[in-house]
Amino acid sequence: MSGAKWDVAVIGAGPAGLAAAIAANKAGARVCLVERESRPGGILKQCIHDGFGLVRFGQKLSGPEYAWRDIQLAKERGIKLFTDTFLLELEAREEGFVLTLQNSEQAVFQIVTRALVAATGCRERSARQVFIHGQRPAGVYTAGTVQRLINIGGHLPGKNCVILGSGDIGLIMARRLTLEGAKVQGVYEIKAEPSGLTRNIVQCLEDYNIPLHLGATVTKVHGSERVEAVTISQVDENLRALPGTEEYVPCDTLVLSVGLIPENDMLLPLGVQIDPRTGGPAVDQLMATGQAGLYSCGNALHVNDLVDYVSESGEIAGSSAARFSLGKPDRPCHLPVIPQGDIQYVVPQKLDIAAGGQAVLYFRSARTIANASLEISAGGQVLLQKKYKAVRPPEMERIVLDLALLPPGTEELSLNLRG
Amino acid sequence: MTEKLNLVARELAKLGLTAVYPREWRRSVVLEGEVDTWQQYIAAGYAAAGKGYKGVVNAIKVRGLEQSREYLPPAQGGALEGKDYDVVIIGGGVIGCAVARDLTRWDLRVALLEKEDDVAKQTSSRNNGMIHPGIAASSGSKKLAYNIRGNRMYTQAAEELGFELVRCGSVVMLGKSMYQLALPYVRYKALQKGVDGLIPLSRRQVARREPNATSLQRGGIFLPSTGVVAPYKVTVAYAENAVENGAAVHLNTAALGFAMEQGRIIGVRTNQGLIRAGAVVNAAGVWADKIAAYADDHFFTIHGRKGTIAIIDKALGATQKSVLALPRLGVKSYTKGGGLNPTVEGNLLMGPTAIEVSQREDWSTTPEEMEFLFSRHLSLNRQLRPRDTITYFAGVRACTFEEDFIIEPSEHVPNLIHAVGIQSPGLASAPAIAQDVAAMAVEILKTTREVKPNPTFNPERRLTPQLAKLSLEERGEAIKKNPAYGQIVCRCEAISAGEIIDAIHSPVPATSLDAVKRRARAGMGRCQGGFCTPAILEILARETGKAASEINKGRPGSQLLAGETKTGGGTRT
Repeated sequence: MSGAKWDVAVIGAGPAGLAAAIAANKAGARVCLVERESRPGGILKQCIHDGFGLVRFGQKLSGPEYAWRDIQLAKERGIKLFTDTFLLELEAREEGFVLTLQNSEQAVFQIVTRALVAATGCRERSARQVFIHGQRPAGVYTAGTVQRLINIGGHLPGKNCVILGSGDIGLIMARRLTLEGAKVQGVYEIKAEPSGLTRNIVQCLEDYNIPLHLGATVTKVHGSERVEAVTISQVDENLRALPGTEEYVPCDTLVLSVGLIPENDMLLPLGVQIDPRTGGPAVDQLMATGQAGLYSCGNALHVNDLVDYVSESGEIAGSSAARFSLGKPDRPCHLPVIPQGDIQYVVPQKLDIAAGGQAVLYFRSARTIANASLEISAGGQVLLQKKYKAVRPPEMERIVLDLALLPPGTEELSLNLRG
Repeated sequence: MTEKLNLVARELAKLGLTAVYPREWRRSVVLEGEVDTWQQYIAAGYAAAGKGYKGVVNAIKVRGLEQSREYLPPAQGGALEGKDYDVVIIGGGVIGCAVARDLTRWDLRVALLEKEDDVAKQTSSRNNGMIHPGIAASSGSKKLAYNIRGNRMYTQAAEELGFELVRCGSVVMLGKSMYQLALPYVRYKALQKGVDGLIPLSRRQVARREPNATSLQRGGIFLPSTGVVAPYKVTVAYAENAVENGAAVHLNTAALGFAMEQGRIIGVRTNQGLIRAGAVVNAAGVWADKIAAYADDHFFTIHGRKGTIAIIDKALGATQKSVLALPRLGVKSYTKGGGLNPTVEGNLLMGPTAIEVSQREDWSTTPEEMEFLFSRHLSLNRQLRPRDTITYFAGVRACTFEEDFIIEPSEHVPNLIHAVGIQSPGLASAPAIAQDVAAMAVEILKTTREVKPNPTFNPERRLTPQLAKLSLEERGEAIKKNPAYGQIVCRCEAISAGEIIDAIHSPVPATSLDAVKRRARAGMGRCQGGFCTPAILEILARETGKAASEINKGRPGSQLLAGETKTGGGTRT
């Protein structure tokens, strides 16, 4: 079953994969894109709200509009796209990666690629993963499922909803459900601060008079066939429900927006190192994982809040994969990037100083800090300092570092964020 | 007062249950009166057990406690009125379905009645799927005899019916205080009980076999005959093969009473009309005592014991090969909390717990039960963490106070057979129970007519492709024959549209989201249906000719959608 040979194969035709494929193609590589759904665009297909593309295009686009630009570009450049195609097996061999795929037309087939970009996105944390108890009635959905039902299926999942978690999709679905005539009782967030972007709190909740309750969570779902109500409890500083604070809130639907998990299950057999802080592979600034020829980008690498940065990481991964495939890279020389102080995580987790040039660093703070300062240092020398009016965990920060600043003999780079 | 009854009265007095009154009825003991708590109700039942009566009927009222609610399908007129069968089986759990299939070996008109929208809806889909080795059952019990026989019969059943059976074996580990004391005793017991192939293991041997096993172990035993199955798949397999061999499975059909004539049952009254029956099998699980009462043969009471089970992500499936358990001193077998098993699908499974409940259809879970599972089982395998849990659920065991199976023809109604009080190891025992119950039914029918073998009986179930079990070549061939197998719908478990369509059109059709799940496994992976639910919903609507808003999880009222959007309706994928 030895199949067609490619320079670069990209798994996932969402925004990261599309950007990666286009970048690799521009760099002269023969690229194919593998997508398990019937159309490219990934989750953007169901994101009919606007706000996409401000950074990348200087315009407020809807999800499908944003995706359309890259889909058109990929078409114009003749990039091969396999849709409705599912990856069955992935194997690293001497000649490259062997992908065993299936679809309805070609049945089971293989392709071989020198470089591989994993742009597999993320999945939503489920009700069971946040330990919601009670019976198992219909009407408990993740926010993304609700979004798919409404925006693609034309189905209304419920008429009287409670939203648990203040992640962005949950906030956006609060508004969307309201526009469809459903009542949204409120958004409940276990933490003391919302986990979505400020602009979504304003545009999706405040503008529609939907209350946001902080420090409160759902402790029980009532109803055996369909959701009839939920019990809401206040929580203490350790996020444990406080007895005596229970409130019974009648509703027919519980929507969960309680976190996203990068999907990298297909990489595990290759022994790729996963950063427990991000849930994605540890990469360098070229988006190269520890496995030669394997690149990661987008929400599979770490969960982004803006698609613009998803595309950016895709472009980096795509052009890096092309360079690898076309045999131009120098041997990497890696030094670790160490998060310090109030940094929740930083991507990349290491720098390839042999590659030179500039490195884009993405990081999140572990807590909300007003007047924060970031210090990037190496070998006891401060390379870069930056002040922030405020940093918040939901809002990813991006900073560009010129590798020429690194003193010779540097063994590690540290990012330190302080209040 | 007989001596037995005196004994019961004394036990009740010891418990301070002065408002409970025992009396004898036929060969059983009946408890009446009032208590304050469900715990007292249960304690009274056990106080009357083991005193030499045939059964304990616990008719005690608990002050202020609501009687157990029971789901009944909505009345649907007389679609089945006047149907006439040689044998009617009440209950579509693993026992009822296996009995139905075994009865189709004979040239008989067989019907199975199930009140839910599918078979395996209650205890048969809410257990840990263990095919026990038999070591836990008491000597001399029906449980032991059926367990040992049933376990041996599973290999053939799995081959004929095409369900997966993994003989993973179990490692019963012994802690520091237990090892020296318990090992010789356990070996002796195993030998005496007829448990197949016990192998003693030193601490190092346990560690070699199960490198991630708890460091608390000081050795143990290996029981190679232990197996695991997907219990709902076994039940569905029996039901499908029964239908293939001519049995009728009537879903959404509840037995509401019997029509009796001269002490015999002549028909089963249902919500779909009166169904005539030559013989009746009571395999009604948690409601079996109610069915017995319809025939005035209520010589036992069922009480529900809930068990909560948690499923661990497949990514950790390879960290353990066998069932792991670490028994504790002084813990009775029916209050234990199960073990840590592999599953046939490659996950791990923890539990079940055991809690007495008054509501027989209460499958709710609680944080306390989960905490108990984690504290008891997580440490058996050193790789597991609470966050590795992908889902959890609960089931209710149908227990008698005697804690043994009742598998026998009624002593009072000549054409009624009871297969009741089925709890662990009921699943493991099912093939043997079915064999005996079918034979009992045939004996009853033979008193009035000739019963001949079914000349066209085919023990092998027709199988549709399960892609996950095929080689790449076979998979490719399947897709070439039917392109719907090429389209993956459930990405976590890699289940295709073709497999879902097959489930919807199978001999016992899956018409709800949960029924599709039980057959095709779509939605059972780590995202728990987040991605595939909308797609399955749309396939179900298309294949059954219903509106998407009519599709439910099974019972009426469990619809997934409230309607369409303003511009709505239709699928534009």
